[in-house]
Amino acid sequence: MIRASLALAARALRTSLRRPQFLAPLLLFPSMFLAVNTGGMARATELPGFGDVNGFLDFQLAAAMTQSMLLGGVTAGIATALEIEGGFFDRLVASPVPRAALLVGRLIATGAIAVFQVLWFLVIGLIFGAEIEGGVPGALVVILLGIFGGIGFGAIGMLLAFRAKNASTVQGIFPLVFVVLFVSSAFFPRDLLQSPASWIADYNPLSYIADGLREPIIRGVNAGPVLEGFAAALLIIVVAGGFALLALRNRLREA
Amino acid sequence: MPAIEAVNLQRQYKGGLKAVDGIDLRVEPGEVYGFLGPNGAGKTTTVRMLVTLLRPTGGHAKVAGFDVSTEPSAVRARIGVALQEAALDHLMTGRELMELQATLHGIDPKKVRDRAGDLITRVGLEQAAERRVGTYSGGMRRRLDLAMALIHAPEVLFLDEPTTGLDPTSRSTLWEEVRRLRDEGTTVFLTTQYLEEADQLADRVGIISAGRIVAEDTPAKLKAEVGVPHLDITLASLDGEAEQDLARAREVLARFGDQRPAGPDCHLSVALPDGAAGVAPIVRALDDAGFTVASLDLQSPTLDDVFAEKTGRHLEGAGAA
Amino acid sequence: MTAAQNLRVILALSRRALNEILRVPGGAIPGVLAPAIFMVGLSGVFGAASQLPGFDASDFRTFIVPVGMLQGAGFTGAATGVNLARDIERGWFDRLLTGPAPRIVLLIGIVSSASLRALLPATFLLLLALALGVHVQSVPGLVLAFLIVMLFAAALACWGCVVALRFGTQQAAPLMQIVAFASILFTTAYAPEALLAGWLADIASVNPVTYVLEGVRQAFVYGLTWDRTWHALLALALLLLALGSGAIAMMRRVGR
Repeated sequence: MIRASLALAARALRTSLRRPQFLAPLLLFPSMFLAVNTGGMARATELPGFGDVNGFLDFQLAAAMTQSMLLGGVTAGIATALEIEGGFFDRLVASPVPRAALLVGRLIATGAIAVFQVLWFLVIGLIFGAEIEGGVPGALVVILLGIFGGIGFGAIGMLLAFRAKNASTVQGIFPLVFVVLFVSSAFFPRDLLQSPASWIADYNPLSYIADGLREPIIRGVNAGPVLEGFAAALLIIVVAGGFALLALRNRLREA
Repeated sequence: MPAIEAVNLQRQYKGGLKAVDGIDLRVEPGEVYGFLGPNGAGKTTTVRMLVTLLRPTGGHAKVAGFDVSTEPSAVRARIGVALQEAALDHLMTGRELMELQATLHGIDPKKVRDRAGDLITRVGLEQAAERRVGTYSGGMRRRLDLAMALIHAPEVLFLDEPTTGLDPTSRSTLWEEVRRLRDEGTTVFLTTQYLEEADQLADRVGIISAGRIVAEDTPAKLKAEVGVPHLDITLASLDGEAEQDLARAREVLARFGDQRPAGPDCHLSVALPDGAAGVAPIVRALDDAGFTVASLDLQSPTLDDVFAEKTGRHLEGAGAA
Repeated sequence: MTAAQNLRVILALSRRALNEILRVPGGAIPGVLAPAIFMVGLSGVFGAASQLPGFDASDFRTFIVPVGMLQGAGFTGAATGVNLARDIERGWFDRLLTGPAPRIVLLIGIVSSASLRALLPATFLLLLALALGVHVQSVPGLVLAFLIVMLFAAALACWGCVVALRFGTQQAAPLMQIVAFASILFTTAYAPEALLAGWLADIASVNPVTYVLEGVRQAFVYGLTWDRTWHALLALALLLLALGSGAIAMMRRVGR
């Protein structure tokens, strides 16, 4: 099971790297958004209730990471849906690979890509003047939480792929990614959000993941937000992963 | 004035690939010219240059009296084009597409509807005219494509592999239409990879291979060039010494004409310089020598034989039509 | 072809382009939904920024309604490019090219459809904004805003055509979309120039889309002024000239 999962993960990584039109949106688009948000809302840190940060960029890095990983999850879903449409998935199913490996392999890949995504934004942040208050341990915590987040979002993507009829349905989910992000505290402090985003954000696991990624950057490694972040990511992994596995079983049973 | 004229027509792509390597063509008005060759020979590239979609990189060509490089607008006003893919908008109905095509060709708005209707009837799509093209079969799409190419009564019609992928009935229907166009005086330049299509429809055939025309004439003359008909003979099973008996049979046949190497399972093949008249004497001779003929097959040279003789390879479409 | 014949070709091609939203169930939704999500979402997230001293508008949503309208135009322009790429892939474009209509007439037909289509997201966003409490400062300003949106859609459609003609494939769609998106955001989209970070203020001051955006913003924030109006129209003229020339040049290169 482990070997099969790792092999499938390696395959997923290889095919992703060979298709830049899939990878580019994961980094380019959130980077652009990061630049515009930071440049446009530069003075937002002066608002009463914003909290103490070095700069808006430091605050926004977690948003960019969360956005990037969420897009990565949907992209993993699209790639899987395309494989199902194209028949390659059937070939995997017909092989002796354990069923769960079909899911786990892809999740390992999204986790691996998440490392890359998180590092990208940490480096960009440092280049443009952000400071990681938590230092190297803080960066490592961010990377670790990123891996969990990436896996969780990957599970969501896989759930969509196994349930959807075709790849373009999964692709149509893209706008919803932004809806979910906008009703969280990814981009702005929860206390400063407008209603109804403000109260939805309290129940949105993305808020806790983003806050968990942010804390080591703007304040240092504090147990509360970081642990909440891990808990939220684990929740998504368990729930989305569980449903994805069920959806996979149903799909295989129907085939 | 020829309908189509090309002198040393060339198309070279970046990197040096010469898709068309010096083609000379002369197609007279009212002629059906068949352009035959395998995939990748340069047929489509040639057509695309003649219909002004591609610029020649060497030589020149004129269609309906106008130069394709320097007077492309005048060429486009006089040609009809149906390319390899029946390029249709699936969201539109057949009638809407016909009327759009009429508008694109500047037909008077008062005449658009009638003209579209006439052509829809001509190609047998009246029942389907109000349906979206996305619901049409392959044959219907081809017919609509052809009708669209004819909307402005072009002087020269270019058909690029018009029956590829069609079932036999649809193919026959299209052939009938091409014959009708010829009778009406339209010049038709037809590319195909199907021997039978070129054989049946074309007044003259140009065979293209690797970007060059390797043979050009009427189908009958081209075939006569490469040889005479052959009679394929299968003898009933020979007993005992099959090798010796086959050798004896070949001796019997030796005086009638050249023979091809014997095939497996008692197959023999002998040339018939006099055509079908030579069959009876051969059968009598074999009978007199004690052989029993199991089957006879008269094989005439095909355009594939012409192609094989000129290029050393066979056409891919041989036998596919 | 006479002028009348060419005009009929333009109208026919525009009419055909509208089929995608008229005949495809839900075909209009993505182009309308995306800018709406951004408008509502961004104002939910960054709404408090309107409290900053120097922020021109009474509230953030009013300030970014014009951004949404331009985004709708931008997506429409990019979609026009994607449609052309699809037509190229499927051979439909060859059909247009082998007809007698001049290349520029074909281009105008393709691009003018974007102007018409852009009215749909712009109208939807306006109605949504009004429902959410945004006020219109100037009715003539609103008319001008719609005109600007139509011209901006045409300009970005020219960009889409450049990319489509260059690459000939729908896979180039992200390039069309990202340039449209970025051109609108690297402006005074989120805040007045005085409140932007220095580097973004510098970019915004030289980005012609900033002046286009400020032109639309007159309808909701500033009221109609001659200064902002002519700046916007000049910027649009420059964009149309540059991108239109690019598209014509690419059309002429087809088949070379």
